[in-house]
Amino acid sequence: MTNLTSTPGLDATAAPVATKARSAGRKSDTKRDINAFTGLAHIGLVIWALVTAGPLIWVLLASFKSNTEIFLGKPFALPEHFSFETYFNAWGEAHIGRYFLNSVVVVIISTAGTMLFGSMAAYVLARYKFRGNRFIYYLFVSGLAFPTFMALAPLFYILKNMGLLGTYTGLVLVYIAYSLPFTVFFLAAFFKTLPYEIEEAATVDGASHTRKFFQIMMPMAKSGLVSITIFNIVGQWNQYLLPVVIMTGPGAESKYLLTQGIANISTSAGYHAEWSTLFAALVLSILPMIIVYAIFQRQIQAGLTAGAVK
Amino acid sequence: MRRGKYPFIIGFLIVPVALYCTFVVAAYLQTFQLSLTNWSGLGPIEYVGFDNFVKLWHDELFWKSIRHNIFVLILLPIVTIILALVFAFLLNVGGGHKGGQTRGVWGSKVYRVIFFFPQLLALAIVAVIFGRVFGPDKSGMINGLFPADWKPWLFLADERYAMLCILIVLIWQAVGFYVVLFSAGMGSIPAEIYEAAALDGATRITLFFRITIPLLWNTVQVAWVYLGIAAFDCFALVNIMTVDRGGPNGASSVLSLMIYRNAFEFSQAGYASALGVVLFFLTLTFAALTLRVTRRESVEA
Amino acid sequence: MTEIFTQPAVDRRTLLRRAAAVGLLATPAVGMLSACVGGGSDDSSSEQATGTKSADNPLGIDPKTGVEIVIFNGGLGTAYATDVDTPLFNKKWPDAKITYSATEQISTTIQPRINAGNPPDMINNSGSNLMDFGAIVKANQAAELTDLFAAPSLDVPGKTVADTLVPGAIEQGTYNGKPYAVNYSYTVFGLWYNKKLFEKNSWTIPTTWADFTALLDKIKAAGITPFGYAGANASYYMVRALLTSAAKIGTEQVLKDIDNLKEGAWQNDAIKQAAQAWGEIGNKYINKTFLGLKHTEVQLQQDQDKVAFYPCGSWLENEQAKDTPPGFEYAIAPYPSVTTADKLPATAINAAAGEIYFAAAKGKNPQGGKEYLRTMLSKEAALGFTKLTKSLTVVAGASDGVTISPGLTSANDAITKAGKDIFMGYLFDTWYKKLDDESRGAVNDLMFKGGDAQKFCDRMEKASQAVAKDSSVTKFTRS
Repeated sequence: MTNLTSTPGLDATAAPVATKARSAGRKSDTKRDINAFTGLAHIGLVIWALVTAGPLIWVLLASFKSNTEIFLGKPFALPEHFSFETYFNAWGEAHIGRYFLNSVVVVIISTAGTMLFGSMAAYVLARYKFRGNRFIYYLFVSGLAFPTFMALAPLFYILKNMGLLGTYTGLVLVYIAYSLPFTVFFLAAFFKTLPYEIEEAATVDGASHTRKFFQIMMPMAKSGLVSITIFNIVGQWNQYLLPVVIMTGPGAESKYLLTQGIANISTSAGYHAEWSTLFAALVLSILPMIIVYAIFQRQIQAGLTAGAVK
Repeated sequence: MRRGKYPFIIGFLIVPVALYCTFVVAAYLQTFQLSLTNWSGLGPIEYVGFDNFVKLWHDELFWKSIRHNIFVLILLPIVTIILALVFAFLLNVGGGHKGGQTRGVWGSKVYRVIFFFPQLLALAIVAVIFGRVFGPDKSGMINGLFPADWKPWLFLADERYAMLCILIVLIWQAVGFYVVLFSAGMGSIPAEIYEAAALDGATRITLFFRITIPLLWNTVQVAWVYLGIAAFDCFALVNIMTVDRGGPNGASSVLSLMIYRNAFEFSQAGYASALGVVLFFLTLTFAALTLRVTRRESVEA
Repeated sequence: MTEIFTQPAVDRRTLLRRAAAVGLLATPAVGMLSACVGGGSDDSSSEQATGTKSADNPLGIDPKTGVEIVIFNGGLGTAYATDVDTPLFNKKWPDAKITYSATEQISTTIQPRINAGNPPDMINNSGSNLMDFGAIVKANQAAELTDLFAAPSLDVPGKTVADTLVPGAIEQGTYNGKPYAVNYSYTVFGLWYNKKLFEKNSWTIPTTWADFTALLDKIKAAGITPFGYAGANASYYMVRALLTSAAKIGTEQVLKDIDNLKEGAWQNDAIKQAAQAWGEIGNKYINKTFLGLKHTEVQLQQDQDKVAFYPCGSWLENEQAKDTPPGFEYAIAPYPSVTTADKLPATAINAAAGEIYFAAAKGKNPQGGKEYLRTMLSKEAALGFTKLTKSLTVVAGASDGVTISPGLTSANDAITKAGKDIFMGYLFDTWYKKLDDESRGAVNDLMFKGGDAQKFCDRMEKASQAVAKDSSVTKFTRS
């Protein structure tokens, strides 16, 4: 992404020339070329779209089907009966709505925390020389290699001793801690690529380190921050093992996260084999995500792009 | 750097480092310690030196699992990145240039939304869905597509293809995210560069290889590291989807599954920790190798 | 979440039965539990409610102190507790208020309370998230139940609670010679089939292997898969079938030798013959795609009459209740005799107790917890439980003469016919999970890939001896 900063001047010259060229008569060639190419492109894209959307359509259909239809019938056949009973069950008895909100709250706070602490650490590690810098950096990066489930038992004790079991505070802190390795790794690399001139100018103007970070570096790093934010949201949203270990104790049930809620349904799916309710819960939990993503897609894209164009 | 540099550094590092040490480092130090014991997970702890490591050296399943991990480690990043790059390219630049602007193919916004779907599903659910996709009889989605008189493919029940099936699911889930990531990178490549190149008679294929890829190289490397780490995991999929978890006959066993089963099912917490230590160093080696390559724009002296 | 998709319902239920018997169960909570339970506070036995013992109050409970119970909300539901046991308890003790709660996550909700010295009085330790009961006993957190079993039964005059139970029921909850758990439900294992389908085709249940294969031929000719099990996650149903046959050939001693990791245990002729016989069934009658199927899928196929015989336990009927079409009636058949020289008769059957209920030793009202258990072990409560959960209990004959469901009636009949030839089976699968794992792979190879009995025995013998020689594995023995 950095290399882009070294291509100024192009915009001044290239665009007009290109326009001229187009009007000069190679138009038809280009057009045919485009058609053949876009045709192929569309075929490829449509196939992949089908491959990704297919299973989801299957989930949607399955939420209306009986077990026999789900497991023995034609995968994409329409259900014999349409009834929203499974959805009411998922929403009512399984409290999918509440768990969804719990998840939203936890993920928002912990992602915000991850981004704040992660970028602070990454910034210092990327742009300041001091003793122990490399050590701390590699300490963080080594966390990438540590499989989370090995930590489950020790974590339980650590939180218990701190009195944080069954609390959102504990969960959020753990989420942040386990998201730091990749966040620091990614952002440190990113901060290194940002130009030093502006920062030096600010130093000359007497800006403090802290101000430089929040007012100059953060805005410049916007695209990196947005990408890693998405990484973290997705990762934390799908987390299952950690909340299972941490959200325990009396009254924890009302604090369950969405993944736990779905797991609870599938627990009973194992016994009663109510797969359609499981899939209904799934649809309920995916839909808002799809809608949010579809609405904000442009902003996300813009955010991801922003920093680099500068 | 002058004026309050150290207070600033400490101020910025103290919270993240404290959090990290409390919740992550402390936990893995304990794993290292346990790898030298024969602890069952219950009861007294007895130190046995490097016995666990000797044992795993002779464990056939361990070597099988390592091979499977390496198989995924090589293929998952390569295939995912290639697919994601191609799709991102089509979505952003594929539509050619009109009115002085390069654009994606028609409908690219819809594609972008659809491609992202798999990211929204928890892996456990993905595993259930693909259990049906790879159904070994005619009710399976893929087998159902074939003519009725074909012998159905066994997919996960066939030792030769079990691991490949897992790989396909991993790729399926990952591609969408990297399409978005690469799209962002491509969006930030000034259109003029493409214009200029197109003027020189470059085809789209050339554009892709001569402009897009080099300019996106940093992003690709990050993707590589992330996918590599994901490749070392793939626990949930193998655990839920495969025959006899890791079977048939170990044909789909991976290290993370071995660790999990030894720790939580076979009451071999010590052995599991030893496997965890091995996995840790393997991942670390991989990350270090990748970092070496990525380091080229490092500022440190 | 992952366990749920990988383990058939059964696994959990059998697991807890075994957990009761063995006191060794590895769940993800294992690491935490030992220290938790062990580190539990001993100073909490402060104020426990007691009353005066009398003929009417054999456990000496305080009639005015409430009892807190926690029920696992799983396959058995919770209605039996709220609609049967609690009203029955309150009929006798109207002033003792029952505080009831249900959870899917027993370990995560109860364990911290045990640690804090504030446990509920009666706990149903069950589900995939159950506590390691052996560790609980070791930490003195479970109340000893000797007085409960010696107390008179609530509604069978002249008999103690112990007298009313099926043989072996108390032993399964006994640790170091003292009982700590009530294993309440009772599971019967065998070959399940659709009675209506068999009647329609006038297929009769075989007792000899020759009859069995002759029938399988007929079924095959009718276009139905004669026999099947799910190789992907339920191959241990097949292991059970094979080893049940082996026990019938050579008595339960064959299985005891396996459990005790005796050298050559797996090379026993009984096992070889059983493997040989079943391997041929695999070669000839099984649908090879079943290797990749999960239990749900095969069970649904059976409900559609696409599979004739399915090896399973008596929970099957209830598990499939929603998906069983009207023309389908579950019935169980014991495994046919493999040879004419089988030491056990063809009617011999494998049945065992499961589902742990216990009174917490350090709760506020342990005697009240025990009294609740005594209520559950009454004939009336047992019948209510069976009616609601379609699951038999360890209370002997509680559901005799009552029509509950076809499958259960059939299981009950099978037990009656077996008489003294009921055996508990084997425990190596929970004692030595690695050996269990090997047996699943080995039985899949036997049934789906050629049926080489010798190879099966060799592979299992090797794995068994590897476990025997592994010093890091805690060993158990039985006799």
